[in-house]
Amino acid sequence: MAFSPTSEAMLAETIRLAKLFNSEVLLIHVGARTAEVEQRMNAMMAKCEALRDRVSVIWGSGDPVNVILDSCKKNHVDLLVTGALKKENLVQYYVGSIARKVLRKAGCSVLTIINPSIESVPYKNIVVSAEASPHVVDAISTACGFAPKDYSAWLHVVKEVKLYGLSMAAADQHTEEEYDDVRQGLVKQEIENVNEMMRHIPHEGVRINVKTVSGKSGFELSGFAHRKNAELLVIGAPPRRFSLIDRLFPHDMEYILADLPCSLLVVQPSKYRKEVGHG
Amino acid sequence: MGKFPHDAVVQLLVQLAVMLLAARLFAEIARRLKQPGVVGEIVAGILLGPTVMGMIEPGWFEALFPTGTASGVVLTGMVQVAVVMLLFVGGLEVDLHVVWQQGKTAIVTSLFGLVIPFSLGFIFPYYFPHFFGFADNYTVTIFALLMGTAMAITALPVIVRILMDTNLFKSKIGLLVVSSAMIDDVIGWLIFSLILGMIGKGGHGMPIISTVILTLAFTGIMLTVGRGVINKILPWLNKNLAWPGGILAFSLALCFLGASFTEFIGIHAVFGAFIIGVCVGDSEHFSERAKEIVHQFINNIFAPLFSVSIGLRVNFFTNFDPWLTLVIILIAFVGKVVGCGLGTLLGGATWREALASGFGMNARGAMEIILGIVALENGLINEKVFVSLVIMALVTSMTAGPLMKKFLSLPNSPTSTPVSPTPARGQP
Repeated sequence: MAFSPTSEAMLAETIRLAKLFNSEVLLIHVGARTAEVEQRMNAMMAKCEALRDRVSVIWGSGDPVNVILDSCKKNHVDLLVTGALKKENLVQYYVGSIARKVLRKAGCSVLTIINPSIESVPYKNIVVSAEASPHVVDAISTACGFAPKDYSAWLHVVKEVKLYGLSMAAADQHTEEEYDDVRQGLVKQEIENVNEMMRHIPHEGVRINVKTVSGKSGFELSGFAHRKNAELLVIGAPPRRFSLIDRLFPHDMEYILADLPCSLLVVQPSKYRKEVGHG
Repeated sequence: MGKFPHDAVVQLLVQLAVMLLAARLFAEIARRLKQPGVVGEIVAGILLGPTVMGMIEPGWFEALFPTGTASGVVLTGMVQVAVVMLLFVGGLEVDLHVVWQQGKTAIVTSLFGLVIPFSLGFIFPYYFPHFFGFADNYTVTIFALLMGTAMAITALPVIVRILMDTNLFKSKIGLLVVSSAMIDDVIGWLIFSLILGMIGKGGHGMPIISTVILTLAFTGIMLTVGRGVINKILPWLNKNLAWPGGILAFSLALCFLGASFTEFIGIHAVFGAFIIGVCVGDSEHFSERAKEIVHQFINNIFAPLFSVSIGLRVNFFTNFDPWLTLVIILIAFVGKVVGCGLGTLLGGATWREALASGFGMNARGAMEIILGIVALENGLINEKVFVSLVIMALVTSMTAGPLMKKFLSLPNSPTSTPVSPTPARGQP
């Protein structure tokens, strides 16, 4: 809770999520605990009446990234909600802003909201990556959970055709018909992989649209979300933490972070979780 | 521009037509025998060149490919451009993103696949230089380094084709092999360029140390800053210029600029083209469709010209040394199969998968031949070693597929199924 111009909207988004998943809410403030800050925090707390006693505040001081991550760990947080700029400048990109640093290092799922709204805006177009991640099934399941059933939401499941150009180049010893078969086979194989995965994930009431892309998957995924005017992009957390090298030789997620097309949810089962989770 | 004689124009066009037709004919025969097309193309060159046509009908050979004429000079220039373009495509195939995603496993696998063949390729020529046709122009160390590099290089397209044929391309082991081969190629070509720098050919009297420093600086700057700059320019080109004309002209112009720079500093043009290929191919704005177009254009027009030209310049009969060829083939097999096999085993594969990966990465293809031809042109090897290297490249490329399938217990036939999916908008 940084008391920025978007703080109120961020809180409204968080309250909606807490109601949807029946969760507890922890508001984290990093900085001096002055009378003025306390007054502003109380005003914020007053907006959380609907959650009654399920809201509490954590006061911390020091490096914001460390405080936020430590608080998540101590309180066994399942989902961290942060606000972020859509795009960062070159220096910020390589050095890393607080929101993006938290996103890269968090041990739980992180929802990064770029345009928070006080009014409830349903997710009508959700894009989810079906890329090979240890948490891909969690990501798709979570995305299905976010799709409101009464708004005819579309869930676009996007899968990359890896090394498409190289694959087609290696198919140069085929006739025209065989060449087309190879091209179509590459696409069909990925669609079948997604369909097979979807068979094991409950998605009643959600309209599913399976799409394939080729190229750098993070970049293409981001572009696809942009073209679809998606409200939410969901990806599985990568298997390891990112370093500066991942910005020099970008990992899929870094392409997305470079220019967020919409709000981003990075899904991973919380490493901080106890038997009963918190929100 | 100078005037090109009328007769030379006719002669050049006939040469190109004959080379392309012969290359396609024999590539088709190779295809029906389930062999890489490059094998057929090289056989076509051997048949058209001094080895067969030159021996049976010397008059025909001399009439078709006369030496010292204007058309011959232009043809040599075109083949040189073809080599540069082939290395550019080789660079495009390197996907740093995929390599980085594979992480440490790919690095370990590639290092084993590089160090062991390189060591074997270095040790034997170092201790028995004259058996290996040491040309005596440079030190034994440089000659042995060159032979080590020749053993370490792989042919990525051949490997990809085999992996696709066996439905293993997208598997964990498939991506591991592909990314390891990519790392091997980058390091292999860097070592080779440093060797060329060490012999100090060309470079306008530039000291060797300057050439080496410039080579390393060029590589480092292009793979970091240069890559970033290209990545900023490509979206502008895509948005404002005709597609794919704009992006193709820009990338090939950049390729020739990079190639001319490395040629100027005293290493071969191929290295500059390769590094530019890596930088351009790594950009998220250089679409897979554009890559496909570049591949098809170069692999089907310029690659056959190069492959056929191999047989035109060397007599494979008089320069064939069976013992030398046998030893080179043995070193090539042992080095790659043991090295890549061990590396893949450490990467978590079974021993059968490890052996399959070793035999797969053993395929040398056109890359080995390019390395050989550059070494021959620079006097690093003689024609006998070159012929042995070409035969080794052919044998390793021809055996890679069947041996890989054998160890993976797969039927020895291609597996492509006709399908009719619904591709996404603007997608493959």
